[in-house]
This record gives sequence, structure tokens and C-alpha cells, in this order.
Amino acid sequence: MSNNSANILDIKNIEVRYDNVILALHDVSLKVPKGKVVALLGANGAGKSTTLKAVSTMLASERGKVTNGSIEYDGNSIDKQTPSQMVGLGMVQVLEGRRCFGHLTVEENIISGAYSRKLSKGDINQELEKIYTYFIRLKERRKSQAAFTSGGEQQMIAVARAMMAKPKMLLLDEPTMGLAPQLVAEIFNIVKELNTKEGVSILLAEQNTNVALKNSDYGYIIETGRVMLDGTAESLLNDDKVKELYLGISKKGRKNFRDVLKEESLNKKSN
Amino acid sequence: MVDELLFFMEVLVGGLLAGTMYSLVALGFVLIFKASATFNFSQGAMVFFSVLAFCGFMQDFNIPFVLAFILAALLMVVVGLCTERLVLRPLMNASEDTVLMATIGLGYVLEGLAQAAWGVEVRRLDLGIGDFPVPWIADNLKLFISALDITAGLVAALMIIGLFLLFKYTKIGLGLRAVADDAGAASSIGIPLKHIMLLVWSAAGVVALVAGCMWGARAGVQFALVDLALKALPVLIIGGFSSIPGAIIGGLIIGAVEKVLEVYIGPFFGGAIEGWAPYVLAIFFLLYRPEGLFGEKIIRRV
Repeated sequence: MSNNSANILDIKNIEVRYDNVILALHDVSLKVPKGKVVALLGANGAGKSTTLKAVSTMLASERGKVTNGSIEYDGNSIDKQTPSQMVGLGMVQVLEGRRCFGHLTVEENIISGAYSRKLSKGDINQELEKIYTYFIRLKERRKSQAAFTSGGEQQMIAVARAMMAKPKMLLLDEPTMGLAPQLVAEIFNIVKELNTKEGVSILLAEQNTNVALKNSDYGYIIETGRVMLDGTAESLLNDDKVKELYLGISKKGRKNFRDVLKEESLNKKSN
Repeated sequence: MVDELLFFMEVLVGGLLAGTMYSLVALGFVLIFKASATFNFSQGAMVFFSVLAFCGFMQDFNIPFVLAFILAALLMVVVGLCTERLVLRPLMNASEDTVLMATIGLGYVLEGLAQAAWGVEVRRLDLGIGDFPVPWIADNLKLFISALDITAGLVAALMIIGLFLLFKYTKIGLGLRAVADDAGAASSIGIPLKHIMLLVWSAAGVVALVAGCMWGARAGVQFALVDLALKALPVLIIGGFSSIPGAIIGGLIIGAVEKVLEVYIGPFFGGAIEGWAPYVLAIFFLLYRPEGLFGEKIIRRV
């Protein structure tokens, strides 16, 4: 299990199909260095969730399959793993849409995250207290039924629950979806804190390009199942194309990278 | 007047206790419905299968009572294991309707296996508890209440306490409730669905065995036990498909209502309304409270 390379996650040219037919990812390669936050950006249907599910091996439960390429986590191929084995290896995905257990209390939700670990009652309580230091809000609400908490609280529950599994790496799927700007900032602060204090590597799928890049080290932009652009978060934030297409600072009427590429190739021809 | 009141009490208490027999059958359904949101059509067959095996162990192999019961319970765990491996796992990503159809098929398989192994004749099951009034209660309270009914009531109470403790305070119980809420999210945090399914189907199998013993002692161990499952349906509609207390209360209501109606209103309809009165009650529930008395309302944040 020793992994001397600097990357905790290494995805090489994967292709993903659903139902053996529908091609969701054409060619996605990305790396997550140990201890870093990497953002995966793109519009609806670009393939962000599919990429994350390919990594957590949750694709199988949606009749999806990696049909080409390879994924290495911590130096080992994840080919034959099941989602619960991945959790055992320290890779936990926080699914899109929070997905709390509505009928369980907040605290039960969080404790359920420790299911894969063999912990005594005392250990669990100790872990809980540690988790609550990051999610102070949840401690106040720990006896409430999760379904009756706010959207932001539910997102925190989902992240706290994942942290109870003691992950080396978190996959966050649109953690700020539908949240007010203030909450978005709060969630990102917590994520950043978990990254620096707990040393958790993070792969983050987001539509909120601006905030995501400001809180990441590196970014990938995907469109229709392909990586279109990648670079350090800083360079992407200053990239003209990113500014135009994702940050809404538009000059021309171009809508996506395909238009940009088409234009560029036309320019080349005319030259 | 006192006599009439006593008679009413007797009908009511008898009905309530008989109702716990329905509750026992309904419990098995609830367990499986909670975990996989599927109505398990094979539950009746599981009742028949388990109690027939129990009888077979005792009568054909002369295995003592307690050991035979343990063997039958273990057999139901094996059935749960096979069901998980051969039926549920291949259908992991299939729709709930597909699983529902599979349980119908599973029912036929279990019925067939049971009869192939143990024969088709009706067997007598003697639990050592008579299905006749307890003399002490008859003498002191002037109520004629069957000892078997009282036993069924006690057993049902024990089962509900046991299951409640299991769900509320154990790790596997927490896992089960998590899976019941959102199986996808549960597997994303490493709760292994197959273990939970195995647990649930085994537990439902053992519950089926207990219910089968009670009914077998009353009506004989025979194929008709399979149809018991039908009686559990109104119980579940009234109590709620996903609630264990609901299964118990629903059973009590059905038991009491059908006996009281039978005795007091039955004559106007020419009797035998026991057979259909519970379904009428169920229809009213479906119209006015479809989630049942204790069923989990679908919670939606607005």
C-alpha cells in the first residue's frame, strides 16, 4: 500500500459509459496531489459527477462503467473495489444533493459515517467532539431530525458524516448547490480547514467557478466529457477564456470551449 | 347488564390477543419493507416454510423441541443468505417493482421446496400451550381467554421490544435505518448493503418462524398458512408499512374490530364478516390516511 508518488489520485484517460451505450466521459485525465484541493469545473451534464462516481466506484449502482483508461488511488488500481471498500481505504464521496438520512437525528447521521470503522462508544464520542469543533452549528442541533434542518446544515451533516469515516481523500459533489452566498463561504471555510488541519486531499466538483477556484490549488475544466483546460487555480482565474465562459466577464458571444476552439481553428486556416 | 359487559370484554380481549397473531406476521413484512421498500410477497411462504421445517425436524427426525427451533431459525438465516446472494444482489440496481416480482417468484420456490422436503399433509404442532380458556382467568375474571392468544401477545411484546432495542441502540440497527432512508448515501459512507439485507431477511425469516409456530399450533401446519400473508395486508395499511409499533397496533385493531363486528353486526349480514371487514377498514385508511397510523410520512422541507 505504499505510495511514494506525490499524487493521491491519478486518473488516466478514462472513458465512461452508462448502460454500455451512453458515452458520458470521452477522455478525462486528472491528478490530485496529496494534501491539495483540486476543483473540477463545468456546467450541468459536463461529466463532473460521473468522474467523481467513477473514482468512488459508485458508478456500478447506476449501471455505469469505466470502459477505458485507469484510475489509481494511493498507488493502487481501484478496478475491483466496491464503494464500501473504497471507504475502508479512506476515500469518501459526499454525494450531490446532500442526501442526509432524513429520519435520523443529526448526531445519528454523523455517527453513521463511522460505520466502516471499528470504534468503541468512547472513541466515537471523542471523534464526534472533534468533528463538532469544525461544525459548531451542528452541535447545537444534534438532537433534531435531519430532514428538518436547513439546506446549509444538511450540507454540513453530509460533510461531517463523511469525515467520521476518517478519509484521506474527500470527493465533494457540488457542496454549495442551492445555498446562499454567506453559507457558500461558510462551507468553503470548513472544507479549507479540514484540508489544512486534517490533511485531507479534496477533489471538488463545482459550478460555482469563482468561489471554487479561490479555494482550490488546481483546477480542471471539463465540457461534454472532456478536459478542456487545466492549470493552477490562480492561472485559471486570470485566464481570458475562463473569465469569458465561466466567470461571466464576456467580450464576445461565445458560449463554450467548443466555440472557442472552432474560432481558433478558423483563424488558423485564414492565416 | 354486567353479563353483557363481560361478554363484550371477552370479545374485545379475545380479538386483541388474536390480533397479535396478525401482528407477528406483519412484523416480517415491515422489516423487509423498511430496508428495501419492497412488499415481500414471499413472507407467507416463509411462514409456511419455516414452521414446516420446524415440525419436520421434530416429527421426522425426533429432534427435541428447543434444538429443532434453533435449527429452523438457522435454516431461515440460510434462506436469508441465499435470498441475498441469488435474488437481491443480481437485482441490486433494478427497480423496486422488479424486486417485488422476484419476491412472488421466491414465494413459489419456498412453497415448493417445503412440500418437496416434508410432504403435503397437514401436521399438528403441539407447543404445549392449549388453545382453550385459561381456567384461572375464567374463574377470577369470568373471561374466557385462550392460553395460546395470551402467549401470542407475550411473544409479540417481546419481539417488538427486542427489535426496538436492535434498531435504536445497535450499530447494525443504525445502519439499517440509514439504508432505509437512503441506500445510495448509506453505501457512499461505507455501510455494506449486502450485510444489511442479509440481516433483514434473516430477521424476517426468524419472525416468520415465530408467527408460523403460533398459527401452526392454532390451525395446523398446512399450506393455507401461505395465505396468512393476505391478512397482514390490512394490518400494514392501518399500521403503516414501515413501522414496527404500527404492525403491532395495526394487528390489535384488526383483531379487535373484526371480532367485535363479527359478534355484534355480523348477524345482520348473515355472519362471516370477519373475512372482509378488515379490508373495508383498510380502504378507509387508504382514503384518509394512506401512510397508516405510524407510517413514516414523507418529510419534505418547504
